[in-house]
Amino acid sequence: MKFRTPVSSILLMALFIGCAGREPTPGVTDTEILIGNIQDLSGPMKELGMALPHGANLYFNYINDKGGIHGRQIRMTMEDHQYNPQKAVAAAKKLIEQDQVFCLYQVIGTSPCEAIRSLLEENEIPLIAPATQSGTMSDRSRTGWKYIFHTDTGYDKQANILVDYAYEQNAEAKVAVLYQDDDYGANVLKGIAEAEARHGVTVQKEAFQRGATDFAGQVMNLNKGGATHVIIGGVVREPIIAMKTAAAMGYAPQFLGISPTMDHRVALGSGEAGEGFIAANFAQLYNSDVEGAKLYRKLFAASGTDPKVMGMYNFYGFMTAMILVEGLERAGKRLTRDGLIKAMEGIKDFDGKGVFPGISYGPNDRAGTDAVVLVINEGGKQRIISDWIE
Amino acid sequence: MKGRYADENLKWIAPLILLVILLPFLLRGATFSYRYYLYVLNIAGIYTILAVGLDVLSGYTGLVSLGHAGFLAIGAYTSAILVDQAGVPFGLSLIITPLITGLFGIVVGFPALRISGMYLGLTTMGFGFIVRRLIIALRTWTEGSAGLEVTKPLLFGFTFNSDWDNYFLVYTFVILVIVSIRRVMKSKVGRALMAIRDSEHAAQAAGVNLTRYKLFAFFLSAVLAGLAGVLFAHTMRFISTDHFDILLSIYFIIMVLVGGVGTVYGAVVGTLFIVLLDFLAIPIFKDWLGSFVAVEVADIQSLIFGLIMFLFIIFQPMGLYGMWLKMRIYWKLFPFNPKKRFT
Repeated sequence: MKFRTPVSSILLMALFIGCAGREPTPGVTDTEILIGNIQDLSGPMKELGMALPHGANLYFNYINDKGGIHGRQIRMTMEDHQYNPQKAVAAAKKLIEQDQVFCLYQVIGTSPCEAIRSLLEENEIPLIAPATQSGTMSDRSRTGWKYIFHTDTGYDKQANILVDYAYEQNAEAKVAVLYQDDDYGANVLKGIAEAEARHGVTVQKEAFQRGATDFAGQVMNLNKGGATHVIIGGVVREPIIAMKTAAAMGYAPQFLGISPTMDHRVALGSGEAGEGFIAANFAQLYNSDVEGAKLYRKLFAASGTDPKVMGMYNFYGFMTAMILVEGLERAGKRLTRDGLIKAMEGIKDFDGKGVFPGISYGPNDRAGTDAVVLVINEGGKQRIISDWIE
Repeated sequence: MKGRYADENLKWIAPLILLVILLPFLLRGATFSYRYYLYVLNIAGIYTILAVGLDVLSGYTGLVSLGHAGFLAIGAYTSAILVDQAGVPFGLSLIITPLITGLFGIVVGFPALRISGMYLGLTTMGFGFIVRRLIIALRTWTEGSAGLEVTKPLLFGFTFNSDWDNYFLVYTFVILVIVSIRRVMKSKVGRALMAIRDSEHAAQAAGVNLTRYKLFAFFLSAVLAGLAGVLFAHTMRFISTDHFDILLSIYFIIMVLVGGVGTVYGAVVGTLFIVLLDFLAIPIFKDWLGSFVAVEVADIQSLIFGLIMFLFIIFQPMGLYGMWLKMRIYWKLFPFNPKKRFT
């Protein structure tokens, strides 16, 4: 892990002073582009916080070895926000003012990203690929929407797609949703409400608290309601417990999951109960056959990192790095922040060597993609069973 | 009033206030990233107001609270809703919101009439959790756990636009709070609160109305937390449940503990120390350590805070009063302590 050192920032300042004459863009020199990343390195999501930038650096180093972007090397500097929005703001201020980064990239978590919105607007600095799937990220009614380029398919859209899928499988299906009672769940419910209106049905809704360990009540209600398809809006532990509880009660609906449940730990941890569990994901898996995934595996192996952490989070960092690099390439030799925004808006159907369904932005579009693939769990192994579904 | 501060040297007060005023100018002269430091100082200022309030409650009156992040949240959300949704002017919210938070303080204070020490700590901690759940449940106004955007402070037609403006707003209140709370604590009320801390029975025998004064301590403490909340919401401009977790309440306790309980200045120094350590010193230390030790240094924060708290509890015998009292008696009697009393 590379950390910013005072010496390098002083050198960078010296470089700026040296480049007098042309209006300099912060974080851009003739030889380097400095980007800022705010991760959770010591908070509740620190496992992801270590993995995402590692994956991203794999791709950046690959690009750097090929000569960089328009002759400039990409360098990423990191800050830690411990999943605390207040620290995220402090970290962003530090990156923008002290380290003078060119743009922000992959800031993790919904509330930290929401917290830095006004800062993005004040400094007119773009945030590429925030590491959260909340649909609010591409909401154009919010402060600073112009500066946030969201990659992933929002939870609301995923919920919509999963309801459609259930009815496709069985026109007589009774769909239910088991959601986490917070902003994540609220976003899922938003999608469910849209699907209800489209299908003219009522979806049974059961809530649980983040960290809950007892699902007997909810599962009993689902069973009583006769739900044949249950959409789970949880993360890792809760879906496992819910599915095991259902199995213990002899209740076997088709469980469907929003993308956070795609984590392979759900597949591994739920065992028999999770057999046939289908989760949505906005990109191809790291072990799939597409070009991007092959490149990732090759670079990962060459980096000599523990293969245990090869899974989705490293790959997530790797994938989003491709989008940033694409934007930087398009922005051209004379790199400015405004130029990057315009270049990002020009991205159409970018598939990142096959891993994405086609990322598109526009002057009034900040949602990269609306599509997902479905991933089934078979004996702890994950396999993609669908094309891109929109 | 004559002679109230006779035992203190007040000569350095004026230079200190001058320093507070000049500090932003000095920072601007010294570094071009001064706004980042001002932001950190603003956080420190807001927490100082709260820590002084917590000191009134835990330091002066001896009532432990592990739920002050809850009061901060109530203040922040109340003001955000009043100003942005009900159209109350910010200036008015600065007065109303602390009073509303104060009422919550009284409600939480009622259990304190019966319980103390660890039990009170747990009760107030529960209060902190309840507030978070409540914010999520009152989605209509609070937008649940997604967080709420808040408008900038607007006072007498002047909008506080930047960290620079906010600094002067926050530190005006910091100075006001320090001065007024010191006056209160030097008065009859302050003596009554300290009497309660030292011995409830003795205080009662001396004519201190326990119910009234304990509730007053909770009220005053919550009022200050509410004031901190107003400033927090409008200067940070985004609030969410992630801001106000249990760890923050514990940080507040550490701030008061580190500074020295039962002294207003202690709370101030403690807060500055902890916030600056948290935002400025530890990250640098982490970078430095990470540059030549190939271990995971991410968790060093908890380690350092834990260690600080640990050392202060041992060497600063004024904090977490009830718990400390138990510990002291335990060690005093060691090894002749009747085991049953402490298990």
